[in-house]
Amino acid sequence: MQPLLKAENIVSYIGPYTILHDVSLEVTRGEAVVILGRNGAGKTTFLKTIMGLVHTRSGVLEFDGETLVDKETHVIQRKGIGYVPEDYGIFDLLTVEENMRIAMWKEDPETKERCDWVLDLFPDLKLAYKRFAKTLSGGQRQMLSVGRALVNNNRILLVDEPSKGLAPVIIETLAGALKEISKTTTVLLVEQNFAMACAVGQRFYIINEGKTVESGTMADLIQNKELQAVHLGI
Amino acid sequence: MGSNVRLSFDKKPELPKLIALAALITVFLVIPQFMRNTQLIMMSRIFILAVYGMSYDILRGYTGFINLGQAIFFGSGVYMGVIFLNMQNDLWFFMMAAGSIFVASVIGGYVMSKIVLRTGGVVAAAMVTLALGEIVRNIAERWRTVTGGQDGLPLRFSRVALEPLFTTRLGAYYFAFVFLIVMTFALRAFVLSPTGRVLQAIRENEQRARFLGYDTQKYKTIALIVSSVAAGFSGLVFAVIVRFANTDYLSITYTLNALLITLVGGTGTLYGSILGSAFVTWIQNFLLDLNRSLGWDILRYPMLFVGSLYILLVIFMPAGLLGGFFQLKNWWDRKRLSRATDNTPEA
Repeated sequence: MQPLLKAENIVSYIGPYTILHDVSLEVTRGEAVVILGRNGAGKTTFLKTIMGLVHTRSGVLEFDGETLVDKETHVIQRKGIGYVPEDYGIFDLLTVEENMRIAMWKEDPETKERCDWVLDLFPDLKLAYKRFAKTLSGGQRQMLSVGRALVNNNRILLVDEPSKGLAPVIIETLAGALKEISKTTTVLLVEQNFAMACAVGQRFYIINEGKTVESGTMADLIQNKELQAVHLGI
Repeated sequence: MGSNVRLSFDKKPELPKLIALAALITVFLVIPQFMRNTQLIMMSRIFILAVYGMSYDILRGYTGFINLGQAIFFGSGVYMGVIFLNMQNDLWFFMMAAGSIFVASVIGGYVMSKIVLRTGGVVAAAMVTLALGEIVRNIAERWRTVTGGQDGLPLRFSRVALEPLFTTRLGAYYFAFVFLIVMTFALRAFVLSPTGRVLQAIRENEQRARFLGYDTQKYKTIALIVSSVAAGFSGLVFAVIVRFANTDYLSITYTLNALLITLVGGTGTLYGSILGSAFVTWIQNFLLDLNRSLGWDILRYPMLFVGSLYILLVIFMPAGLLGGFFQLKNWWDRKRLSRATDNTPEA
């Protein structure tokens, strides 16, 4: 079966610095895959490379058989890749509603239905629908960021450290929501919070110093305490 | 941005506001009957420069793009008006001038966007547009056969078909007023459209807009073209009021005038430009009047005072007049709400 997302020996750089040296990864349709690794390992850079925000020097990067290398960010997004960045990426000076609507490619009944589903998934957003995004709490901002990436019929969702800086109770809510989302959408999650990674992911990849060093099923990783200690510091 | 006060999307006009608007329009339709010619000219200038300010606000306030060559389009509009009406002073030639400035602004805006958007960065774009503006002004100054060079080009009225619309000050006032109303509604519709929403997103963070799937270059080009057309039209109508074209209208001074109008009124508010234009035009006229009565030479340079005033405004009211008003209103609403909450008896 052809993978939905395929990265092979990716080398990417920011200015004069090579950040990713050799990242390889595959995500098939319907999967929830987690990328783990220590701080500065290159996890976020890899998601940015997929989105065309960081330049690829060499390697194969394909989405549904089409190359993503040297494509512009908006072109990549329109292929059906939803991106939830680490810093939420929401527009503070727009309301929650405006943030949602700006993410919609079209305002047809199907999109509106998906928007309603997002609001059911995150009731907090429904309550704050008319409020400016800058007035939202960290958890609400993350919900808006994830919700916004769901209003279109994206084929894959790239989520970058959604648990970062959030209270445990919010992380639990988000993990539940991502689990729910992964039932209908392919998810590639970058996460440092092991509990959240376990709750959402079916398979994992570990990136270290810009290279993919380990991969397998989450069930195996949960059993392998040594691997956790070496690469994740758990 | 200094202010986050802006037009809200999807806001349907409420009845009281529509009544207030109708009353305001009626007032502006009646008062010119009691005005002197100088006052009529000043009011006409306010209306037209308000549209020019709005054209600038589309870029500055809704896209975060600083165009220091905006006067290229305004000045071209003035020239186009004078040149066409000098050929024949009738409605058809005026319409031809409007058509020509529309086409020229669309092409000019598109070409400018292709040059400017390659540079990346607000400062680089400002510098490039400044250079473009100066190039156009220099060409105009040397192309004496068409532009009259530094001497300028007066509008020769043959007093035919367009009397009294263009030939009397009262007619020109109404013409400018209708122009303001039409352009305000048109530009309002633009900023409230889905395209306008994307422009606001670009202003806040262009990269974020890109990873939502928007080709931000395309949207900036649209904004630049709309802004150029609005500036061109305002120049065309301005020609009817001032009855004269010269290269000053193409210069950086006129671009800064638009910037000043937008900042004084409130960036990103659209309607703020009406207040900004009224304030800037009135104070310039007031200082010149004062110079005539007092004879102080320093009053011959109104921009000296307007500039100082602007500095004070930026320090003490960065959101501009309209932005400041909304901030004050928000503060009052919050205060009233908290007072009401304090007074609510506990159950």
